[in-house]
Amino acid sequence: MWRWHLYAGIIFAPFLFILAVTGSIYLFKPQIEQMIYQDYYEVTPQGEKVAASAQIEEVKNLYPDAIINKYRPGENTMRSSEVSITANDESLTIFIDPYTGEFIGEQNSKDKIMNKIEEIHGELMAGTLGDRIVELAACWAVVLIVTGLYLWFPKKNQRLSGVLYPRFNKGKKILRRDLHAVPAFWVTAGMLFLIMTGLPWSGFWGSNFQSIATNSGAGYPPSIWSGDAPTSIIKTKDIAEVPWAAENLDVPLSKIQGYIPLPIDDVVAIANREGLHPSYTVSIPQDTVGVYTLSAYPPKAQDEVTMHIDQYSGAVLADYRYQNYGLVGKSVAWGITLHKGTQFGLINQLVSLLICLGIILVTVSGFYLWWKRKPKKGSGAPKAPSLKKMKFFLVLLIGLGILFPLVGLSLIVVWLIDWLIIQRIAVVKKFLNA
Amino acid sequence: MKKSIGISLILIFSLLLGACSLKQDVANLYKQETPLESEIIIPESISANKQETIKVILTQDGKKVEGADYVQFEIWKQDGSVKFDMEQAEDEGNGTYSLSKKIDSEGLYYIKVHASNHGSIIMPQKQFVIGELSENEKKFLRKGKPKQQESHENHH
Repeated sequence: MWRWHLYAGIIFAPFLFILAVTGSIYLFKPQIEQMIYQDYYEVTPQGEKVAASAQIEEVKNLYPDAIINKYRPGENTMRSSEVSITANDESLTIFIDPYTGEFIGEQNSKDKIMNKIEEIHGELMAGTLGDRIVELAACWAVVLIVTGLYLWFPKKNQRLSGVLYPRFNKGKKILRRDLHAVPAFWVTAGMLFLIMTGLPWSGFWGSNFQSIATNSGAGYPPSIWSGDAPTSIIKTKDIAEVPWAAENLDVPLSKIQGYIPLPIDDVVAIANREGLHPSYTVSIPQDTVGVYTLSAYPPKAQDEVTMHIDQYSGAVLADYRYQNYGLVGKSVAWGITLHKGTQFGLINQLVSLLICLGIILVTVSGFYLWWKRKPKKGSGAPKAPSLKKMKFFLVLLIGLGILFPLVGLSLIVVWLIDWLIIQRIAVVKKFLNA
Repeated sequence: MKKSIGISLILIFSLLLGACSLKQDVANLYKQETPLESEIIIPESISANKQETIKVILTQDGKKVEGADYVQFEIWKQDGSVKFDMEQAEDEGNGTYSLSKKIDSEGLYYIKVHASNHGSIIMPQKQFVIGELSENEKKFLRKGKPKQQESHENHH
């Protein structure tokens, strides 16, 4: 037990440390961004707002070659509107004053500090590989929690000291142990919660989990996490052709006569009619069969909405609110807003921060504990017990390995390394005390 | 030990292979809409100063819509010089609603059908031409070319 806890701890503590540090910062994203980008975000309300189409027209004038991807009207009267565009392979957000229709500023999404933090937190800035490592670290943290709890569990009739609070007067050795084990126990529930609520976003376990949940009818409806949005119900042949290819207008009249996409102003009107949360974003269709997708992920899970609107008729093709999620989908949605610290505002952020600080303390003190205790030579791992005595633990590991295939996969790798290398090379075997 | 690893391997791979994709009709498990569908029928060629009939056929949930909550037609010219008020369309039965109209001036026009039935509201709009297009209108149509195409040309 100790052996597994030690190895897993040494390997994954640095990752958990990084996750806790970046997580602590990311928790306060709303406040931090509000502060850094105040000049972009805040506008002075004056009279009526300019039509969305006029705001987008302004962006088109300023960036004639850009592709317009999204429009976000702004959730309150003091908030600027945003137009997301792709120009020269860069994704930019253009801030527009909705009252004057004028340009406020441009933001390159790769320059956004919070995007960097998120990238470290989600994938260590290493793409898919990073995503899998984070996922593996999160899964192995569960193994650490289980083995750690077993090691911490009071033996015989131990008092509460050294269990629920550290012993300060029993010498350095005991204090070092207590500074790891006692706080670790206290953050266990919070840590487990952050892991379980974070995993559904992960690339491998998460996307499979979401697909299974959606397929069973208990998850998110399709197109929110996985799955495609519906397509327009207008037949392609009835759509008006834009004579862009012809220098002269030699496209037959019958091709010009046809359905044309709704102006975005109608989409905004539909959003108001259907009572969407004001923080919604409109994704603009990029081809002839696409739909306008309106989505909002406000601080509280129960305000979420994803709506698909036919780009020609304005018909609501799908309208998924929180109430339409399955039980699993609802739990995941709550998990996400709690994980991000937005569900209950400041209190939520502070509780999560406390858990993160706890995790930082536990990873550091755990590492320190091992560093101080290990003999000059060797890793300080206890002798490997025979597997037969470890039946319960083995079942547990296999169980976790099945529940989290990445853990299972890594267990197989560990077992192969052990079998092929460690057991055959005397020096390594001695160092690891295997 | 070896046996249990073998079993877990099989389980893992079956999980990997089985879970990756969504079922095709998975949307049926969740809340569904019954959007109103419309087919706006405009005569192939329309001449100015002639009474023309524009129709819309409404269907919903695979059935023709009889007695829709409302069906209104709105017609205007691209340059804004002609604009008709919204007009109630006539219910011809069997899901067909129509409006007869005489338009004096040639050019590029739009029609928007506002319709609603059983909670679904639609406002499809169609572009159509009466007689000949003016130079300005041709220019306007060309300006609407997709942005993606433009940026490709500029890469040279």
